[in-house]
Amino acid sequence: MQLDIDKMLVKIKNSQWALADIDWDAPGRERVTENVEQYAKLKVFMADLMWIEHVGARAFAAMAKKAPNDTLAEIYRYFHAEEQRHANVEMALMKRWGMLEGDHDNPILPEPNINLRLVIDWLDTYSDEMPLEVLGSVIPSLEIALDGALCKFLLDTVQDPVCHAAFEKINDDESRHLGVGFHVLEMMGYGKTYQLAVRTAGTLLNPKLLIGIAAYLPLLNRMRDNLVKLGLKEERLYEAMNKYKKIGGRTEQGRRNPWFQIISRQSAMVVDRKSLYHVPVDALVRLTDYYPRRWLKATPTWVKGLTWKTAA
Amino acid sequence: MTQYQDEAPVAGRRSRRAADPVAAKVVEVLIVGAGFAGLGAAIRLRAAGITDVAIVERGSEVGGTWRDNQYPGAACDIPSNLYSFSFAQNPEWTRGYSGSREILEYIRGLARDNDLLPLIRFQHNVEALSFDGGKGLWTVTLSGRDPIIARSVVMAQGPLSNAGLPNMRGIESFKGKMIHSARWDHSYDFTGKRVAVIGTGASAVQIIPELVKIADKVKVFQRTPGWVLPRLDFQSPEWTKALFKKLPFSQTAVREAMYWVHESMALGMIWNTPMTRALELLGNRFREAQVKDAWLRRQLTPDFKIGCKRVLMTNDYYPALQQPNCELISWPIANLSEQGIRSVEGIEHQVDCIVFATGFEVSKNGTPFPVHGLGGRDLNAEWSRGAQAYKSVQVSGYPNLYFTFGPNSGPGHNSALVYMESQIDYIVRSVGQVAGGQLKYVDVRADAQKKYNEGIQKRLAKTNWNSGCKSWYLSDDGFNSTMYPGFATQFARQMASFELRDYRLV
Repeated sequence: MQLDIDKMLVKIKNSQWALADIDWDAPGRERVTENVEQYAKLKVFMADLMWIEHVGARAFAAMAKKAPNDTLAEIYRYFHAEEQRHANVEMALMKRWGMLEGDHDNPILPEPNINLRLVIDWLDTYSDEMPLEVLGSVIPSLEIALDGALCKFLLDTVQDPVCHAAFEKINDDESRHLGVGFHVLEMMGYGKTYQLAVRTAGTLLNPKLLIGIAAYLPLLNRMRDNLVKLGLKEERLYEAMNKYKKIGGRTEQGRRNPWFQIISRQSAMVVDRKSLYHVPVDALVRLTDYYPRRWLKATPTWVKGLTWKTAA
Repeated sequence: MTQYQDEAPVAGRRSRRAADPVAAKVVEVLIVGAGFAGLGAAIRLRAAGITDVAIVERGSEVGGTWRDNQYPGAACDIPSNLYSFSFAQNPEWTRGYSGSREILEYIRGLARDNDLLPLIRFQHNVEALSFDGGKGLWTVTLSGRDPIIARSVVMAQGPLSNAGLPNMRGIESFKGKMIHSARWDHSYDFTGKRVAVIGTGASAVQIIPELVKIADKVKVFQRTPGWVLPRLDFQSPEWTKALFKKLPFSQTAVREAMYWVHESMALGMIWNTPMTRALELLGNRFREAQVKDAWLRRQLTPDFKIGCKRVLMTNDYYPALQQPNCELISWPIANLSEQGIRSVEGIEHQVDCIVFATGFEVSKNGTPFPVHGLGGRDLNAEWSRGAQAYKSVQVSGYPNLYFTFGPNSGPGHNSALVYMESQIDYIVRSVGQVAGGQLKYVDVRADAQKKYNEGIQKRLAKTNWNSGCKSWYLSDDGFNSTMYPGFATQFARQMASFELRDYRLV
């Protein structure tokens, strides 16, 4: 996918919006769901969604440091902030729907689950050291899952017009993120095959990346379990992952990116219930439940930047 | 400063032109600007016996940059003993790094003690310069006044003299107060106010600690974090002042020592050497020592080589950012709104006042006003792809026209005044060639200028400034026409020789 990234940066700058552009007091908040059980599950889903956007934001911050040129670095700085904006919007929706604990005017940030905490820990410690091809190939797969499955599912489930208005804006942003994401994914496929292979093998042997993989895989499985509990059809995830494979693999360069090959194969296994992949990963999910909290690092301050407020 | 105006000989109004002999008279040397460079040039010209000198100044007071930059905390980041003229040393500096008021007082002293005030025509704003090759004279067009005819013109208007609010989205919609750091509004009371500071460059790091002391809330909007190094500032003890007064050579010795310490910095700042790494290590350790939070430290960590942009010398910037009433915002700014600044994370940061510490419009691609040389050639057009000059002071095709802080004369590691003195002495020598009317003009040969610039650009390619970061040193297309790629000593040596073969004498 040939993309003019200079034009894209201009487009991004021209497409900015703020939380204040959404009327958070508009009628319809009761249309979130009438089902009490569904409401409780939705609360968990929204918190997960918010955290996923937030950790995605942090990944973009790491990518900005590794971008091969100034324009792409600037784009990633914008995407970092835009993902934060999405997380802020999702927190504001939770506030609107009464899903935040604590004082009404000073609610508490929902607690991330243990797998998210582990991913936050890893991102905080190692993400800045990761080569661009790792995060640059993972991020489009997550974006496509968010865009193609999670957000669509949310909009099918929730009828609140404010939620629809907010996600219309979020989806616009995400389409630009995907455009740049696949462009970079292809960019990483240039070069001689043996060089790509040697570099990938070298990166894969990096223990810091292995820790990251050990944190990331159970998070995906836990998210999938939560989504299925909420009523998401697994086919939706399957379709999303197929889309990643189709778009990412539509050019030779995309297909030659070893990370694309690794991630598309791994994604296929994630959405295939029968795959043996789930045996160790589900075991990891259960194991992480017993992960001693005291082993976690103190919550980094970037996490505390989330807010539901339109103005500060 | 109306007393200056009263004392200055003001050119006659248009209606009195015919009766006014001053308007028709040819001035030997006309200097544009009464800042450090203009006053320094006037002093040295007169010392060389060239006394027919006039200075036109658009403001109503001397001081240039230091008259304009009076924001709270404004100070020089070069020690005062070095940031002053060697021929006018000041034993009374109260601090190692003096504040802008004290520097302005020093400049006023230069004008007063050297009896320069009668030469200065205040509120004379130059609109254009045009050279008449036949007569060998420059016509200096002024706003609302009669033109001045001069044999030689010294451009000393300063590279950092044009400050304006940046062209940001929605700037017209903001209803609160807006202040540019170089046009400070001293009548505005910041006490208890919510303030945003846009920019984290050399001015911002001085303003922020002062604002944090009085404002209710200070939000600092950062685009690119710079390298910060500690500043060894101190209050000058009385005994050094007494010593410098009694034994001036002791101050010269201190100045020399400071000069060589700064010269050694060139090794790390201008070129990528092990010393660059050592300076970066110092910067990193300083940040680690001063900033406790890991994320804030990350936000403040530069991603370019030290020296690529101006290094920030401050001890109180990082502590100020960590005060409870201060917040660093590194999200990009989306736009300004009626009540504040909307950043890309979707939040509107509502403030009473926005301080723009966004720098100056540095003349990298062009001249501050039209300059027409031999045959009507236009300097602005010639410089549109990046300014070029011969030894930074003269441009081929523009005879008898001299620049201070001209193209490629900026230092990154030493006092600008050291460079300025070399330029002034060169100008004095060149002006001396035409003063008295023996020659009509001296013009640099185009091939000499071309050769000089090829050498400069070749050397610049190996410097940290051209190592990939965006800075005001570079034009939008990456051309470096601001910095001199070498030691101050090299620059001084280059300016000490006057190569007649590089000139056309007419």
